[in-house]
Amino acid sequence: MNWREDLAGESPEKDFELEQALQHFKASIDAWSNAALSRPRMMTKAPVRQNWRPAAIWALGCLLAAASLTGAAYKMLHRQEMTKQAAQRSTEKPAAAARSIAQPTNALPEKKAPAATVRKLSTGAQDNAGGQDENLLASVNKDVSQQIPAAMEPLAQLMDSNGAQ
Amino acid sequence: MRRREASTKVMAASTAVKPMTVETAEEIAAEEFARIVASHRPQVFRFLLSSLRDVDLAETLTQECFLKAHRNWNQFRGESSAMTWLMRIAINLQKDHWRNRRMQFWRQTRTNAVDLDEASEWLPNGERSAEQQMLAREQVAQVWQAVKGLSERQRTVFLLRYVEERELSEIAESTGLSEGTVKAHLSRALGKVRTELRGTR
Repeated sequence: MNWREDLAGESPEKDFELEQALQHFKASIDAWSNAALSRPRMMTKAPVRQNWRPAAIWALGCLLAAASLTGAAYKMLHRQEMTKQAAQRSTEKPAAAARSIAQPTNALPEKKAPAATVRKLSTGAQDNAGGQDENLLASVNKDVSQQIPAAMEPLAQLMDSNGAQ
Repeated sequence: MRRREASTKVMAASTAVKPMTVETAEEIAAEEFARIVASHRPQVFRFLLSSLRDVDLAETLTQECFLKAHRNWNQFRGESSAMTWLMRIAINLQKDHWRNRRMQFWRQTRTNAVDLDEASEWLPNGERSAEQQMLAREQVAQVWQAVKGLSERQRTVFLLRYVEERELSEIAESTGLSEGTVKAHLSRALGKVRTELRGTR
């Protein structure tokens, strides 16, 4: 049953007015709907998902993590090295001290040995030296006494001649 | 029913030549659904537009309606017409929308619903005088005003009857109401329209 038939029972004047109003209403909605359906659609380009952003964030994160890990590892190694060096130094110091203490006692006999030998030899050597010295002195005296400056030559000749006389 | 007949015909024709494969049946069903979308989309959209007065929302709900119909296409037994079935889905979607909006009253939802004056501006380009056009616009505005004052159910019934020109039995099937209730709603709705038309005189 058509809706226009629904209104048949009403008074003719009112029927006409209502029918007309409903017809206009339907026509209005039809026009609006058709216009909305046939309107040009704006095809907006879907925003390109910026994949580089998460990638960059990931790369930066990885870089930071690697840097921090490397830094931590370097620091640890450095500390280990330092402790090793400190330990080495601490072990070296007493050794050096001990060596420095031990060195004179060891070196003394070595040093003393020549002294002892000198002492031991001194008696014999002194005797030899004394004889040598005497010889040396005699030769020096002889040389010195025989080396007469030219200015004293007449006097020396005179003395020689006096001595000979 | 048409769907059934068509599929049985196709089945009969294809069984005579070769047994129908699942792919072929799916292709036929898809084609049939595409035809239904093409033929019924303007009506579903028009009903939703008149109910919501929001072009974007009407488009969205129309899409959802056909999406839902496509999902449940296998469950459609053809007992009612495809249009009645689609209208039922559209009415339910519309109800869900209003319910969700009521539930989310704390959310500031942006609405694109046009006001009644703007909705009344639409008139077909007929060979009318300026006076006639003005009169028609005035009448449309009055009907819109009356529709605004209707309850959700009255509005649905009124729009299905006077805009979509559906039969009372179809409206009853789409809304899940009895024909008597549909008539009662229509009567009340018409009474309000009349009052509005009379009131402005």
